[in-house]
Amino acid sequence: MNNLLNFILKYSKWFVFTIYVLISIVLLVVSNNYQQSIYMTSANAVTGSVYSGWSSVTGYFHLHSINESLQHRNAMLQNEVLNLQSQLRELRAAAGDSIPTPTVERFDYIAAGVINNNTRHPKNFFTINKGMNDGVRTGMGVVDQNGVVGIVNVAGRHMARVISLLNETQHFSVKIKDTSFVGSLSWKGRNPEIGYVEEIPRHARYSPGDTIVTSGYSTAFPEGIPVGVILNRVHSRDDSFFTFKVKLTSDFRTINSVRVIRDIYKNEIDSLAAFDVVTSEDK
Amino acid sequence: MIVLVLAQVLVCNRIMLFGVAVAFVFIYVVVSLPMKLKTDWLLTWAFVSGLLVDVFVDTPGVNALSCTLLAMMKKPVLYAYIPRDDHTKNVVPSLSTLGFAVYAKYLLTMSALYCVMVFTIEYFSFVSVKEIVTMSAASAVLTFLILLAIDSLIISRREKRL
Repeated sequence: MNNLLNFILKYSKWFVFTIYVLISIVLLVVSNNYQQSIYMTSANAVTGSVYSGWSSVTGYFHLHSINESLQHRNAMLQNEVLNLQSQLRELRAAAGDSIPTPTVERFDYIAAGVINNNTRHPKNFFTINKGMNDGVRTGMGVVDQNGVVGIVNVAGRHMARVISLLNETQHFSVKIKDTSFVGSLSWKGRNPEIGYVEEIPRHARYSPGDTIVTSGYSTAFPEGIPVGVILNRVHSRDDSFFTFKVKLTSDFRTINSVRVIRDIYKNEIDSLAAFDVVTSEDK
Repeated sequence: MIVLVLAQVLVCNRIMLFGVAVAFVFIYVVVSLPMKLKTDWLLTWAFVSGLLVDVFVDTPGVNALSCTLLAMMKKPVLYAYIPRDDHTKNVVPSLSTLGFAVYAKYLLTMSALYCVMVFTIEYFSFVSVKEIVTMSAASAVLTFLILLAIDSLIISRREKRL
């Protein structure tokens, strides 16, 4: 026993070293995107408050460019409102009556500020200042004024960590606008402005400059949110599919204010999917 | 240590100079701890500061692992440049104790080792080996320069007090 203790004490540094290295390697390997406790992420209470304090200072830095893109977006929306108003007037006149059709808004938005953002890693995340208490839940989509930026990964009480679109492990279901050619968008590296859309069927018609939008096949994003613009077709691994190089619409280096999308039918759709699993297991 | 970690996560990690160079200022903790400190404690400081940076930056394990490995290499690196005797056994590595030539060599080696480890661990299978080498080299030089500056600032303050 004494010998053992002496041995451990003599080589204690190697024991300590091994333990730390093992812990690090475990962290490296098990840092799965989906099963993670909030404590090891930038959305925990301490890191969250440090970042929100710091971002109240640095938040002013990009105001100019953000303002510009907001104004641009505002002008576009204003145009659309005018356009729709005139269409509505025409249609009302044509229809002759004015019974309003009840519509239910399926998606609503939670506005949030970005308090920490990264673009230089292979797996990028950013942190937002809204959490469970504000209705943010894991799996919700996040957009900014220009388009899709990510999906909520873990939500703390007041903060949440979002998997950025610039994360090599994350894929998004997208399609070419005004068509039904669906593919999968991912980011492959280093350049925060470029993404790749894979698995677009070969018979798809497209031209460079076409917009890529969300497909609406997940509960995270409604259909038609812009993601990027096709630059050109690149060589793909599989000959039966196209791969496109895409310029992303959002500028990830300056994202500052975002909106989290809440799908009010999410529970219903998920429970249907769960029901499906149960019934197929029964068989 | 807290100051260095905060400087790292709030400022240095957000700046990638020319798209290749990142300064890792927080390894100053490992670099500058006195040699008489037991290796166990040195490893602990290294691991904890690396882990803190990881939690902030969402890179679990990357900095913790590199920092622990760096702490283990500290002694061999320093004593490769100066003889290990009674006089140097308890030295606190800095410009004033080692002189410019030795300290610069020591610091550059440590920065280079750290950058190679960090980029290899994090970017392996993500970018080409060539890019990893470029990023490591550029970051090592940047880290070296900034740490040299930090160290000389700390010295001048110490001297003023005397």
